[in-house]
Amino acid sequence: MIIGIAKKELVDAWRDGRFRLGAVLVLVLLVVAGLLARQQVARETAERDAATALERKNWVEQGNKNSHSAGHYGVNVFKPSSPLAVFDRGIEPFVGTTVFLEAHRQNQTAFLPAQDATAMRRFGELSAALALQVLVPLLVVLLAFGSLAGERESGTLRQTLSLGVAPRSIVLGKALGIGAAIALLLAPAAAVLALLLSRSAPAAEGTWTRAGWLAAVYAAYIAVIVAGSVAVSASTRTARSALTILLAMWALNCIVAPRLASDVVHGQLPMPKLAEFEVEMQKDVMEGLDGHDARSKQIEDFTQKTLAEHGKTSVDQLPFNFQGLVMLESERMAGVVFDHHFGKLWDRIQEQDRAVAWAGFAAPMLALRSASMAFAGTDFGHHRRFARAAEEHRREFVRLLNEDLMNNARPGDHGYAAGRALWEALPEFRHEVASAAEAWRDARPSLIVLAAWLVASLAFLGWSATRLRAVIL
Amino acid sequence: MERDAASGGDSVKSFTLELRLFFAERATWVLLVLFAVVLVYGLANGAAAGRTARDSAELVEKDTFQWATQVRDALERQALDPRQVAGRPTSALLPPAPMPALAVGQADLLPAHEQVSLWRLEKPSEGRSELENPSRLLAGRFDLAFVLVWLLPLFLLAAAYDLCAGDREAGTLRMVLAQGVSPRVWIARRAFARGAPVLLIAVLSVLVAGQIGGAEGVGARTGFAVLIVIAYGAFWLALAALVNGYARSAAAAATALGSIWVLFVLVVPTLLNVVVESLHPSPSRAELVAEARAAAAVAEKRGQELVSSFYRDHPELAPVGMQGDMMSRMLAVQDEVGRAMDPVKQRFESAILAQQEVVDRWRFASPAIAMHEALTDLAGTGYWRHRAFRVQVETFKDQLHAYYSPKFHKRAPLTKADLPNFPKFEFIEESSAAWRSRVLAGLAGIVALAIAAAVVAAARLSPRKLAA
Repeated sequence: MIIGIAKKELVDAWRDGRFRLGAVLVLVLLVVAGLLARQQVARETAERDAATALERKNWVEQGNKNSHSAGHYGVNVFKPSSPLAVFDRGIEPFVGTTVFLEAHRQNQTAFLPAQDATAMRRFGELSAALALQVLVPLLVVLLAFGSLAGERESGTLRQTLSLGVAPRSIVLGKALGIGAAIALLLAPAAAVLALLLSRSAPAAEGTWTRAGWLAAVYAAYIAVIVAGSVAVSASTRTARSALTILLAMWALNCIVAPRLASDVVHGQLPMPKLAEFEVEMQKDVMEGLDGHDARSKQIEDFTQKTLAEHGKTSVDQLPFNFQGLVMLESERMAGVVFDHHFGKLWDRIQEQDRAVAWAGFAAPMLALRSASMAFAGTDFGHHRRFARAAEEHRREFVRLLNEDLMNNARPGDHGYAAGRALWEALPEFRHEVASAAEAWRDARPSLIVLAAWLVASLAFLGWSATRLRAVIL
Repeated sequence: MERDAASGGDSVKSFTLELRLFFAERATWVLLVLFAVVLVYGLANGAAAGRTARDSAELVEKDTFQWATQVRDALERQALDPRQVAGRPTSALLPPAPMPALAVGQADLLPAHEQVSLWRLEKPSEGRSELENPSRLLAGRFDLAFVLVWLLPLFLLAAAYDLCAGDREAGTLRMVLAQGVSPRVWIARRAFARGAPVLLIAVLSVLVAGQIGGAEGVGARTGFAVLIVIAYGAFWLALAALVNGYARSAAAAATALGSIWVLFVLVVPTLLNVVVESLHPSPSRAELVAEARAAAAVAEKRGQELVSSFYRDHPELAPVGMQGDMMSRMLAVQDEVGRAMDPVKQRFESAILAQQEVVDRWRFASPAIAMHEALTDLAGTGYWRHRAFRVQVETFKDQLHAYYSPKFHKRAPLTKADLPNFPKFEFIEESSAAWRSRVLAGLAGIVALAIAAAVVAAARLSPRKLAA
């Protein structure tokens, strides 16, 4: 019986001209978004590869110079985009794409793509994710609002019930039918997206696992919307009131919640001010993290300690270039300060993001969006991994340069210059997108929220079936 | 005459009746209270963003003032080497927006101050005024502009989606028409009775926004914002009337209006964005960075030659023996890099200008876009004011360079007498004619769209067509 009702609902949906129109629109948007995003990612990858090659050439051909000067000359590294960014661009337009790696300083990523665009981007970027998060739920609402309330109004529900059909079968059948209509609509889009993904550049490991998770979270989200919508339709007197309630919930979930949640969370967990952040970090670099040992004092202690270790009285007697060792030590000291301040800043951003994901208990779209970005590799967690990897690369490369100075420049030799052999010996920056397991860890709060929604909406659907009445007064 | 007066009185009576009917429903009160709440929240958020911008600006001003005082005090005591003064960057500040509480716009994304120095080859910098969670930039702010552009139509439609579709469904429409009422007047009156309370609260919120942290001349901006809000509201009400001319049931009207809202507010803007960025793609920042360094390497190798040729061209600036020291060589090299890279950098500005021009031309594809552009323009947080700032900063860079560079090469000491001539950045606001013409165009477009919708609705709402 359930299957029969589901089939009827499915046929009804396909016969509905408005649904067909909406379905075609959504399908076209999904495919166009996928194609455009793929083209864009391909272009950006090519540009980044060209820039990376040119930067390597700049670096290798910088000419002979003191190895520490080469540290000041520095190198730019560029953020690779995640293969699944074609599906969900996430925060990528709003984070920097370039980091300048140099001696003494940990720089922030620079050049936000959105800064080179018009305000149209702020309306939301066309992406498959946006279509699935916002438009498909609306389509579900439009399909589902009349499913039971409409039959109740026209009296057909009374007839069906009087035939002895179990209310549970009616309600479940309706939900399954609508779910099947949406699934049939999305299947071709999913196929096109999968094809695009398989034909794009060699996918990083875990890409398909991530894609599988994406499919799962979106399926769960849409199931929540279907179950919730049918349950509302089962519990309201008229189709009109079902529609009003569902549209209001849709607007709250898809339009109001994202902005409201991020503004409220920001109010509760504010970001530090840029000027203060920089001043405090600089202060700690100069005075030490605990604030009672000035840098000069620390360096002085370090000098005495080194001299004592080697049993010498002057740094000129040391068997290596002491200046190089001091550079190494001060990088190490600064590194501790950078880790502390950047760690605090990034923790705060992730705290905010997690709070927004938990706010998904009020609006499931928030949890879905954060899970989607995590699995697509375009959330802040992934950006942080890139920034962290770039910083580790910076430390490694500055360390190698300072060690060269320490070991190869004679004490007091100010004319020392290293050359191409050393520049070529320094490793190139490589960054792989994190494993699917790490993405899963990032997405955990959102997954919990979505699972709770799934259970709750199915329970609501079941409950509405037990209370299904031919007429509600 | 008498009859006209009587019908005038009837109209007022009918209108009051519509209003009373509207307010008799509990849902109306819920709707209005909810709308007032989101407006207040939007206002509060916009005001907070305005305060943050003001605080950042004050910090920059304080810093600039302290440095100026230091330099002045030093010059009181002795002449200074120009290298000591010119080496430190000067802050160029975009003052807080004239009507910040109206719209956050691009202010959370684009920098409102920049450090301008003699050196042309900058490191890639964060290019931001504040630390911001990227997810928040992605979501956008819950400011007044968001409530007015996105939510106002939803509230208006919730109040006025059923102007006569429900009557048609219930069969009462024929009864009404049988009384000889003009359906156009009747529907218009109903739309007005239901839309006016919502619009009135919206207008009040705009008036309040004008009072919060507004700059001089905010009155005119507030006035325009009020007109735009009314025109935008009229468009959605006319659309509701139009849809009601066709819809067979209240639910059908709601479905159609909801879909149109999604189309105008969500779909068309994202599509326009795609068109704009495909027509005029921005060049690659990554390549710019790498190319600038390649150019620097070339210039570096020619360092001595560059400075020598500079001194040949400007013998008056050359030191004795025509041998530039390291600093002047560095300056010559950087100038050369600047000259090589300026056209490349210019490509970014022209790409985004071209994009914005397409947006301006096509903004009437959706009144939501036109409305959003107009509100951010009025607030002073949109594209144009930020562009004006960037253009003026570029000019200032040239000024600063023209002033300090010769002194730098000559090592001519700076004295107290030079103090008033030090280049200072002062942002010149756009002429009010400039923003007025843009906003007026936007207003005219929205009004035209509203009239078009109203005309089509009026044609449909003839007694004959309605009864059919």
